[in-house]
Amino acid sequence: MNILEIDRLSKTFGDFVAVDQVSLSIGEGEIFGFLGANGAGKSTTIHMIASLLRISKGEIRLLGKDITKHANFAKKNIGIVPQEIAIYEDMTAYENVRFFAGLYGIRGSELKERTLEALEFVGLGDKHAVYPKHFSGGMKRRLNIACAIAHRPKLLIMDEPTVGIDPQSRNHILNSVKKLNEMGCTILYTSHYMEEVEEICTRIAIIDHGKIIAQGTKKELKAIVTDQKNIWIEVRSTENADPGKLREIAGVKQVEIEDRVIKFTSDAGVNNLNKMIQQLMADEIEIRSVEEQEPNLESVFLTLTGRSLRD
Amino acid sequence: MNIWRIALKELLTLRDVKMLVFMIATPVLLVLILGTIVANGFHGSVAVGEIRVLYTNHSQEPILADSWNRFVEQSGRSGIAFERVRASADGKLEVENNRYVGYVEISDTGIKYYGNSRSRVESDIAQSMITAFEDRYRLASAVAKEDPEQAGVLLSGGESTDHVSETSVNGARQPGATDYYAIAMITLIVLYGAMTAAQLIETERKRRTAVRLLASPVTKAEIFAGKVAGNLLQNAIYILVVVLICKYMFNVYWGEHLGLVFLVLLSEIVFALSLGLGFSYIFREKAAGSILMMIIQVGAFVGGSYFPVDALSGFMRTVADFSPLEWTNDALLQIIYADHAAAAVQAISLNIGFSVLLLVAALLIMKRREGL
Repeated sequence: MNILEIDRLSKTFGDFVAVDQVSLSIGEGEIFGFLGANGAGKSTTIHMIASLLRISKGEIRLLGKDITKHANFAKKNIGIVPQEIAIYEDMTAYENVRFFAGLYGIRGSELKERTLEALEFVGLGDKHAVYPKHFSGGMKRRLNIACAIAHRPKLLIMDEPTVGIDPQSRNHILNSVKKLNEMGCTILYTSHYMEEVEEICTRIAIIDHGKIIAQGTKKELKAIVTDQKNIWIEVRSTENADPGKLREIAGVKQVEIEDRVIKFTSDAGVNNLNKMIQQLMADEIEIRSVEEQEPNLESVFLTLTGRSLRD
Repeated sequence: MNIWRIALKELLTLRDVKMLVFMIATPVLLVLILGTIVANGFHGSVAVGEIRVLYTNHSQEPILADSWNRFVEQSGRSGIAFERVRASADGKLEVENNRYVGYVEISDTGIKYYGNSRSRVESDIAQSMITAFEDRYRLASAVAKEDPEQAGVLLSGGESTDHVSETSVNGARQPGATDYYAIAMITLIVLYGAMTAAQLIETERKRRTAVRLLASPVTKAEIFAGKVAGNLLQNAIYILVVVLICKYMFNVYWGEHLGLVFLVLLSEIVFALSLGLGFSYIFREKAAGSILMMIIQVGAFVGGSYFPVDALSGFMRTVADFSPLEWTNDALLQIIYADHAAAAVQAISLNIGFSVLLLVAALLIMKRREGL
């Protein structure tokens, strides 16, 4: 059964079309990845689902009910973890979660229980009486999540929940997402970190210029990229590497240098590995290993949109 | 229920000790400083010196001469001496040299009075009496044309010999400097609340908590009402504390209708809140702040926050009439010192009336907007 169905959804701001005829559906129990570069229409879509923006055209149904006509029902069943940390610094962690959960009609001992449970869930149980100004960035992010889950939403929208935090907090959040999902919560997840999306999402949609350009499982999306290959060459030092020259090699579409790895994206039909190696040797670069990578979501995104997700 | 929840959340800022100290200490310190510095400019009573007035009577009218002499005699019994100018003296010069509080010239064309600006109170008393005499004489002259007998009765003063009647109530109780500035500073601080109110919704936007509030099953109107109610309560608590501090620490007199005084102050808090909120929707954020600051500063200047404005006239009087501080301060002074409880009605009506307009405008604009 689909928890969320979006049908030909559009949003315009004056003459500008931010979201254009978007249609997608999310099944109950899924972790659905929603990818798009900045300005692609991802946040606008999310904001319409969360009733933060009015719908210009189209329809959004949550559990079969039109969210415009049943706004309260929709709001009670949706939780949102905004991209920016949205908490009150002058209220303790407990007061923050309690306040927001209280707005969903939870009262009395149940409110207290759910508040403590949410804080415990994100690993802030022992910090419930602490003001967020004393928290690290990662802890604030976790409190941001706790504020969105205390009312036990059926659909949780997580907009870049791991931006700018340490690996430990990131792992904690990713594990929390999986755990929430196991507990029956459907999750709509956006991130600029492809590895996160690869790790936790069951299905993915890619939005560009306000339109959905692809959606499906990871396998289905990767199958789109059959016309290109990714070759990673590890070298001793990239000091002498000249990306300009490397890009001139026949078939090479893109060259990226990260640490001591030179990453080539090339036409699958062109046999050019020898030329890559020859060029590196000519530049007196010592090669340590050569590896052909399976297509990943990054390359899928690059192929479909012509730009990297982090651009 | 959600309105109450949001209001309570707003009240949590009372825990901020720095804020609490600032909100209470600022008006208290201002009252203390201004009350001490300007103490000499305020007296509960005015000392009236000796009243001696010179006059010349060139009138050929026997009735006028006769009545004038009777008036001089009566005034003398009241301690106001009218003395005829000696032939060698110049009445105006005598007044100029501060030897008399006024000089009266009586002729068949009328009565002219020259007052001494250095003895304003005394001169004003003398002038009031002369004006009263002149009015009575004119009336008698008009009546004399129809019934000379009745004119005689009028001029003799009938049973009454009063030329000036006292109209002020409780003349003994006047605000001292601390009393005055307790009112003026509290109403000023309340109006400054408009600056904070202009930020009420903006802070939710800046903290991004507006997203969470709007995503929860709460309407925009509930968020708005909750924020207003919370801020209203918060300011009311601050003001209550300041009023009590002034009452018990500085012995400020708050009159016999403290409840009414609070009601007027509460209406001003509502006004300040609505002004800030309304302007934050009507104008852009920064423009709203600048316009509010200008309104508050001008309003304070002409509204009696820095000095009493009884003496304003002409254009400045008109500007003052538009100052919320003027109508609020005036109402409070009348309630406290003239025992005039009905003065509250006008101030409360104006404050609440403008508040309704501003809040409705803000709500309409907010409803049309995406987000808060």
